[in-house]
Amino acid sequence: MKTNKAKITISEEDFNKFREYFYRKTGINFEASKRYFVDKRLIERIEATDSGDFRSYFIMMRFQVSGAELQLLTNLMTVNETYFLREDYQFECMVNSILPELVKRKTDNSPIRIWCIPSSSGEEPYTVAMYLMERWPGIHQWDVEIISSDIDTGILNKARIGRYSARSVMHVPAPWLLKYFKQVGDEYQLCQDVREAVEFTRVNLAEPADTRSYKNFDLIFCRNLLIYFDDLSRKTAAEVFFDALNPGGFVCLGHAESMSRISSLYKVRKFPQAIVYQKSLESR
Amino acid sequence: MAFIKKTTSPTINDGQHTPEVRDCQTLLTQLSSTDASERRTAARELVGCPDCANGLMERLKIETEISVREVILTTLTRLGDPVSIAGMVECLRSEDAALRNEVVEAMKLLPQEVAPMMLGLLADEDPDVRIFTVNVLESLCHPDVEAWLIQVISNDDHVNVCATAVDLLGEVGSVDAIGPLEQLKARFVNEPYIQFAANLALSRINEN
Amino acid sequence: MKRILIVDDAATVRMYHRNILESAGYSVDEALNGIEAIEKALQESFDLYIVDVNMPKLDGYGFLRELRGENISQVPAIMVSTEAEANDQVAAFKAGANGYLVKPVKPEQLLTHVRLLIGETV
Repeated sequence: MKTNKAKITISEEDFNKFREYFYRKTGINFEASKRYFVDKRLIERIEATDSGDFRSYFIMMRFQVSGAELQLLTNLMTVNETYFLREDYQFECMVNSILPELVKRKTDNSPIRIWCIPSSSGEEPYTVAMYLMERWPGIHQWDVEIISSDIDTGILNKARIGRYSARSVMHVPAPWLLKYFKQVGDEYQLCQDVREAVEFTRVNLAEPADTRSYKNFDLIFCRNLLIYFDDLSRKTAAEVFFDALNPGGFVCLGHAESMSRISSLYKVRKFPQAIVYQKSLESR
Repeated sequence: MAFIKKTTSPTINDGQHTPEVRDCQTLLTQLSSTDASERRTAARELVGCPDCANGLMERLKIETEISVREVILTTLTRLGDPVSIAGMVECLRSEDAALRNEVVEAMKLLPQEVAPMMLGLLADEDPDVRIFTVNVLESLCHPDVEAWLIQVISNDDHVNVCATAVDLLGEVGSVDAIGPLEQLKARFVNEPYIQFAANLALSRINEN
Repeated sequence: MKRILIVDDAATVRMYHRNILESAGYSVDEALNGIEAIEKALQESFDLYIVDVNMPKLDGYGFLRELRGENISQVPAIMVSTEAEANDQVAAFKAGANGYLVKPVKPEQLLTHVRLLIGETV
């Protein structure tokens, strides 16, 4: 059989069909503006699987018993590239809305506790630390603890060292870069003050013995992790977070993720910069 | 700057220490604690106790706190043993609508384990149980799903059981479903929804 | 143009309602369960909600109770259910519904309810 690769195209109808199916299966919704991005990856997989055209590929994916192709495509559609200040609207939301609400409720001087998971190579928890120092006046009055966890001990060591590529720090404002990083060759070394602001720990969210001691957090960042989990693991993770939070505490998920597909434990809160999920104040 | 690195909960470990093992009997007792968070913790940790499904089921039936129910069902799903499955099936008959919906969701995550019960449940005398069973079929990658659905739309008298089945047949149906879909349309000729759903299913089947 | 949110986990039902409503000149959006509907209701305003009873995560009752209780929206809502019994209808109205339709829904039935509740001529 002769296949002509240049001929594979995705029609608008194909795109809409795929979009509806993918949304139903994964909860990830692609706006029409993502058309190019989606088409490109679909064509890549149609070619790799020798399906010939969208129709055959779509049928194969939908009826494949193992679900392997859908998982593969999901990974492709959710490329996880971490860098400083990624999805920064959520950090804006943290300093403008979440933290002011949290401190208003506080009746003692106990520290505000923030949990970032996955830690990955540290860009996210360190971004939180820098945001607090640069953008939140409350840091002069309140103690803050940032704990960041990952299942991968290798990546945790990398995070502790805190050395980053130019690409990683691309979105860091110039004054912050000057203040908190030192250029070493082509790389950027994060200063000790920021590194010491974060405690790194190893955690497997599916293991009750690992997560048992994670309690009394006020804010959890868990962005672009749950999309890689199956339904049951996602639900387990959401339940672990629920018990790790103080009543009234918040969870921030990634931009393509929604708790509405995972768990009914949380209340939806809308702030000017973001939708976040809250453990209600009455919850015990 | 007011960052503190020393954690206030000294028990947080770095995966280095052997986690404390909690015995199953203690956890089962803790399931009746007056503190909901204690009950959730017990329900979560019982995943390590293979014989605890009965205890979890007993608690599920009387538990009023939704958050605890959610964790109990997650553990039952992770266990997925015959006792858990039988308990879930029993809950499909509960008067509590929220519990029934929660159980349908849990059963959807256990396609292999619930498959053997499907045929019996599709013949249940309670139409609600039949509707919930069709909902569970949605997630089943089982070779007989289409045959079961065809049987439903050919024989079930209840319009809403058929309506639920047609919805799914549009996704999994093959040419085998064409005749039964046409007959269904004839059987419910005055129901615009059935006409719409059957036509949609037919056009999807013809397209593939 | 009046805007309606359809909240139902069954894709065919959403499509059926959408067809009827769009043909009658309404603009339509969809949500697959109660929580997703809450997210949408927080971010944009609708003139009416059409809500299925049985849905995963947060069912129709739960959605309406939160919508009303948290004062997210007070615009009319129609509950759609397979149950025809009076006590089910009472429960729906108590949760905050303004109309109740028993499945399977007929197009003219749906449109009459929608027009009445939106305040248009039937």
